[in-house]
Amino acid sequence: MTHHLTETDVRGIAEYTRIGLTAEEVVSMTADLNAIIDSLAPITEYDLEGVEPTFHPIGSLSNVMRDDVERGSFTQQTALSNAPRQQDGSFLIPSILGEGGDR
Amino acid sequence: MAATFGEMGIRQIQRGLAAREFSAAEVARATLERIASADERVHAFLEVTEQLALDAAARVDAAAAEGRLADLGPLAGVPVGYKDNMNLTGTHTTCSSNMLRDYVSPYTATCVQRTLDAGAIPVGKLNMDEFAFGSSTETSAFGPTRNPWDLGRVPGGSSGGSAAAVAAGLVPVTLGSDTGGSIRQPGSFCGIVAVKPTYGVVSRYGVVAFGSSLDQVGPFARSVEDAALTLGALAGRDELDCTSQPCDTDFAASLAEGARGMRVGIVPAFMQAEGLTAEVRAKVEEAAAALEAAGAQIVEVDLPHAQAAMSAYYVLGPCEAFSNLARFDSVRYGYCDPGHADLGTQYEASREHGFGPEARRRIMLGSYLLSAGVYDTYYYPAQQVRTLITRDYLDAFEKVDVILAPVAPRTAFEFGEIGDPTEMYLSDMFTISINIAGNGGMSMPVGLGADTGLPVGVQLIAPPFRDENMLRAAAALEQTFGTAPVAPAFADGKAGE
Repeated sequence: MTHHLTETDVRGIAEYTRIGLTAEEVVSMTADLNAIIDSLAPITEYDLEGVEPTFHPIGSLSNVMRDDVERGSFTQQTALSNAPRQQDGSFLIPSILGEGGDR
Repeated sequence: MAATFGEMGIRQIQRGLAAREFSAAEVARATLERIASADERVHAFLEVTEQLALDAAARVDAAAAEGRLADLGPLAGVPVGYKDNMNLTGTHTTCSSNMLRDYVSPYTATCVQRTLDAGAIPVGKLNMDEFAFGSSTETSAFGPTRNPWDLGRVPGGSSGGSAAAVAAGLVPVTLGSDTGGSIRQPGSFCGIVAVKPTYGVVSRYGVVAFGSSLDQVGPFARSVEDAALTLGALAGRDELDCTSQPCDTDFAASLAEGARGMRVGIVPAFMQAEGLTAEVRAKVEEAAAALEAAGAQIVEVDLPHAQAAMSAYYVLGPCEAFSNLARFDSVRYGYCDPGHADLGTQYEASREHGFGPEARRRIMLGSYLLSAGVYDTYYYPAQQVRTLITRDYLDAFEKVDVILAPVAPRTAFEFGEIGDPTEMYLSDMFTISINIAGNGGMSMPVGLGADTGLPVGVQLIAPPFRDENMLRAAAALEQTFGTAPVAPAFADGKAGE
């Protein structure tokens, strides 16, 4: 099996995607991802010179603006209804400034 | 014991309602009782929406009392279940994930709303692979669904609950979603009609997104007519999903046209594919013979780039999933790991414990594949390969009206039989290229495999926005193979004893 990714790479991806992994999970995730990436090899073996990409099955889409007509949307209460933590009508998160803040 | 309402077709239920043989309230109550008695063994349902069902039934009965039953719509009085990635106000929408275990929908998906507008009785939410990542429903955080044909086997996935509920005769119609085969493969494993329409036929607004350029919603039923009637209710433009397209096709009416004169394509490379079992190949050949007998012409067609679809999909799917699942931030909704003093560790712990292993794998794989340098090796070529696959299909559909192929290479496997993720991915080898190109595909049951005695579906593939072609061919197969039976252990109201 080719080593596309090292355990250090996988720890970096975990940090970027904000997914905590235990030391054992880093080992198994590295093996799994390398095996999956191996299986993607056929995509690198086609002669694609001059082939335009298709990013979407419906190619004719364009951005459109709807008419500027007021219509209903979630109330503040509804928007907060699934929040794990809330306070004074707002989402509540740990402090992101000062001591104990985010990295 | 008499046939349960879950064993009846749409027209049969509506004839009974019109003739006052039973009321919609009786349909709803009997269906809820049926689920309560039989679903313990199947575990198709994650939530049963008793009050919503009784309220909807009362509206149908009120309309019937005023002689307006015919005005209600094509699903009047029909119990319908929904895959648990579809929002329905006031119900849990979990995606079978701990991440959304406590999430309660504040709004209703367009596909669900359209069934309600058509008179459906909403009976509950159905189990699935976590966030639709899987082909067996084994990755559900709430335990797997069992195949009604053999409770030791998987129902397929990711829409396993939607397929099993219909196969066990709990409900006549359910909705599922299909990103790489998640409607068609469980349809094949459970022996029922399962339709993935062309991308753009059904709105995805309110369906939790997995691969936004691939996802499409469609129906499960035990007859082609029921699937066509349901698709008719779902289809059409929705201003809340910019990919949805206008649709004025009467799918149910098109079935009467039959298969006479249709040109049906067979792909030799599919029939010789490594891993395709003899019993599935034999069933596809039987289906071809049946279509020929019905007046269709069989034509060989090539899809030279179809074998690249698998690797293109496992590039594009995880990339889109990585992007879509970034929204689970433990702040606005979803699981929040308690007791963290800083936001970074709260994110990491919440996403570690909220997502299961397959979701974490796909998110991390997508992140890697979109990173600088790697993007040009995999992601961009995958989008170029998509062009080639799309052209292959368009070329093939110059010669034929519909393509006949296997759905899955084999019949339903046992729990735990496939543990390696890359081996599991092969379940979708015949279905994935259709999502990549965007056209319609469906699984049509054609009886039991000669070796395993388990249901086999054949795949019918339609040109883009000609979904009626596959439904017509399916209706012709139904003439030969019959409508899909309820799994024997659950037939005639039995509860899988």
